[in-house]
Amino acid sequence: MHIMEGFLPWQWCLVWWGVALPFLAMGILELRAMMRKDRVYLPLLGVCGAFIFILSALKLPSVTGSCSHPTGTGLSTLCFGVFITSIIGAIVLLFQALLLAHGGLSTLGANMVSMAIGGPIAGYAIYRLLRDTKVSLYVTVFLVTATADLVTYIITSFELALAYPAQAGGIPASFEAFFAIFAITQIPLAIVEGCVLALVFKYIIALKPEILITLKVFSEEQILRTRHLDEGTPAPGNRL
Amino acid sequence: MMGKYKLELVTILAVLIFVAAFLIVSSGGAHSFTGSDDQGSAKIAELTGRPAGSFAPIIPQYVPPGSEIESSLFALQASLGGILLGLVFGYWLGQRRTPPGN
Repeated sequence: MHIMEGFLPWQWCLVWWGVALPFLAMGILELRAMMRKDRVYLPLLGVCGAFIFILSALKLPSVTGSCSHPTGTGLSTLCFGVFITSIIGAIVLLFQALLLAHGGLSTLGANMVSMAIGGPIAGYAIYRLLRDTKVSLYVTVFLVTATADLVTYIITSFELALAYPAQAGGIPASFEAFFAIFAITQIPLAIVEGCVLALVFKYIIALKPEILITLKVFSEEQILRTRHLDEGTPAPGNRL
Repeated sequence: MMGKYKLELVTILAVLIFVAAFLIVSSGGAHSFTGSDDQGSAKIAELTGRPAGSFAPIIPQYVPPGSEIESSLFALQASLGGILLGLVFGYWLGQRRTPPGN
């Protein structure tokens, strides 16, 4: 989903930077407030950042005959929300723009809007929709992660279609062309990413459930019940 | 026992299906498995009628001198994430195993 340096007209670069900056500002404020409150969240923040670092570095072959990479933003979206995820995503994208020539500084705004903001917003919407229902925690994590991944690529297609409408068919035709390249390739990768991050979430519940409860990612009852089902131990209702 | 590891089994199954699909598609030899980012750039070139090489950077940037260097930098990125992940999970595991009061 990286739009390469120079491949977006400067006017569109400014537009997407303009969209991204308020999210980054909110993210910095949220992060500062959270760190002042309690630094116990720092390791979990590290895990979320690590996953974006790892998954966005993996160029995986897809069944469509091309390669693409997962985004890894689902876990951070669940645990810390959209604003802090935008900061973590921006750091990864900056690393890739500066060292790997993957993306660029002028297109960083557009790449942030797709991977670090738009995808996480879609994932967060799914999370809010399912959080207080009886849907399994792991199914929720899977759907949030897969949605954040897939929507990232849909937004990239949209950004490119806006900048480069097709001569015949305009923006919709161009969107269709970019969608075929980016989004369809991404479907199998999004499914695998969803499964992997659901599994990681299981290990976080096993090792550090109290952080998830403190952050109110899910209710204490939901987490205890899931842990009970995973381990077949203490009856739900026992406090941690 | 199976219930305890249901999620692990589902994940392994998903990965196996993914790998099997890749093997079937790649065995045909009809695909070059180029990056979708590069395909996107090629599509822009096609839509604008300009060669991909004519898109000059707006802000000059460092370009790794060769695909080997680029691959190693990608590996560096993934390994940084892996180190951090191992560190945190190891720390949490240590905390779990340490008796209270120690």
